[in-house]
Amino acid sequence: MSVFAPPVERTMPSAMRANRIASIVAAVAGSLFLLFLFAPIAKLVGSAGATGAQRLFTDAELRGSLWLTAITATAATVLGVIGGTPLAYLLARRTFRGRAILAAVIDLPILIPHPVAGIALLLVLGRQSLVGSAALHVGLRVVGSAWGIIAAMLFVSAPLYVSAAREAFARVDTRYEAVGRTLGDTAWRVFRRVTLPLSVRGLIGAAVVMWARAVAEFGAVVILAYNPKVVSVLSYDRFTSYGLTEALPVAAVLAILALIPLTVLRALRPGRGAGFDEL
Amino acid sequence: MIELAALGARVGSFALEDVSFTIPQGRYGVVIGPAGSGKTTLLETIAGIVPQTAGTLRLDGRDVRGVPPERRRVGFVYQHGLLFPHLSVEENIAYGAVSGDAAREAARRIGAESLYGRSVRALSGGERQLVAIARALAAEPSILLLDEPFSALDPRRRTTVRREVRALHRERGMTVLQVTHDFTEAGLLGDVAVLLDAGRVLQHGPPERVFRHPASPYIAEFLGAENVFAGEVHILGDAAPDWVEGTPAPLALGAHAVEFCAGPMRIYTVGDAPPGPGYAVIRAEEVLLSPEPHVSSARNQFVGRIAEVETLGALTRITVDIAGMPLIAALTTRSAKELALEPGREVYASFKAMAVHLC
Repeated sequence: MSVFAPPVERTMPSAMRANRIASIVAAVAGSLFLLFLFAPIAKLVGSAGATGAQRLFTDAELRGSLWLTAITATAATVLGVIGGTPLAYLLARRTFRGRAILAAVIDLPILIPHPVAGIALLLVLGRQSLVGSAALHVGLRVVGSAWGIIAAMLFVSAPLYVSAAREAFARVDTRYEAVGRTLGDTAWRVFRRVTLPLSVRGLIGAAVVMWARAVAEFGAVVILAYNPKVVSVLSYDRFTSYGLTEALPVAAVLAILALIPLTVLRALRPGRGAGFDEL
Repeated sequence: MIELAALGARVGSFALEDVSFTIPQGRYGVVIGPAGSGKTTLLETIAGIVPQTAGTLRLDGRDVRGVPPERRRVGFVYQHGLLFPHLSVEENIAYGAVSGDAAREAARRIGAESLYGRSVRALSGGERQLVAIARALAAEPSILLLDEPFSALDPRRRTTVRREVRALHRERGMTVLQVTHDFTEAGLLGDVAVLLDAGRVLQHGPPERVFRHPASPYIAEFLGAENVFAGEVHILGDAAPDWVEGTPAPLALGAHAVEFCAGPMRIYTVGDAPPGPGYAVIRAEEVLLSPEPHVSSARNQFVGRIAEVETLGALTRITVDIAGMPLIAALTTRSAKELALEPGREVYASFKAMAVHLC
């Protein structure tokens, strides 16, 4: 140390010292929080990941359940994209009376407890209901079928899609659309040629989030369709019927599968220079 | 042709109100005004991007209220180009082109053809503007709206592109309305100048008239007329006084010989301003300076002392103190040096009666 350098501890201003203490507290709190999020998943995958992977080849019920989960989540997502995209565009682009109320109504399924959502759906789609009985009349059973699973998944996860898709549309500068219109395109053509390509990353991201949420859904699904069993219900069923040992491999597979949407979302994140800045 | 009569439009809390002017068919209009005066909103309303809330808007003789942008035959170039980032340069230009040939021709004329192989993201601000202009021209619009389209171009290219846009405008008989901050550009390009402030038209007409005869002291100052004097108008009589050579047309048209008293200065001019308080505007470039008294036809001659010399490249602004009143003259730096015009030196300032505008 140079003889001219004053001792750091003694000369450090109190504001700097407070900053350093705050940084240390924040780092410790953040690390504990990360550990809280990561540790259960790591423990689950670490202790039962290999068995779970093995079960994929030996457990036919698990394979069937995974297949059913993937199909129903995809179907729910497709329906969510078809119905939610125009709604998201409307919310992002148009100002109208009741827009805030509409946005709140769309977000409602995210906020209510999911078993409650399942019960609400049962009231509308159950055998005694108008819609449910009409569906039964044409041979479509909603409760206790894949249709019920799709309905439950759609109900609880579509709001996430609409919300994220609305953000994706809102990020597209409306002046691009204006330029497209002055270049001779109708509103619909501008949507196809300008808005959609510029928001497609965001829309795919929104769909992936919806799909992941649909795959993970339990509360609403279990009310509407305990059978056939999607993976989350199967995991619960194995736990209640056979205990933790039997539930662990199924749960581990579900946790590993969650990595797929995570990876897709990561790939969709615009890299350097890939964002649609104003050009 | 662009005809606006009492046009109104609203964007958030900002409103265009009672906007009226006409850009005749095939003419070049320029919109000038301070930042936030509504210039872009005005163009967007004409293009149909912002809905009009009042008045009449006619394009090529057709009332376009409720007509969507794509059916107005209007081209629009935003200040920053706003090129579609998901398309190549070539695809951008071809986006609304009437044909492939039209796209290539527009790109060639504007000088954007050499950018075809480049990524839109790799273009500079000026190059983006070139592509945006070519894109609008390729659609062969009947009316072209330009929002500061040359602002990011370097001076040499700006001159070339400006000339080419002007040439295309003449060849195609397009009506053009351009927003600019550049008064030189407004004077060079414009057949009609529209001065906008706080969503209202303050004055419009040929640029020469707007610049030389501003309708108010505010306009005069905004347009860079350095010498705006508040004072009193005194009518000298309808007959041509001996200092007005011959019988000039303004007198025949009902203007009066006027003495304008601004503090110690007595300024002589001809105008139709009523007697009483008013403003006299003299553009700095109309003021002549001489180190010696000299004989000339200029009626207004004053002696004063140079208070300040400000050199900006080839131009020099000299402030002369005339009995406590500042009079600003603009001259070439070379002239200022040759005449050795320096602070503190006594100097003779003169300007013609016809160089004075009363408002």
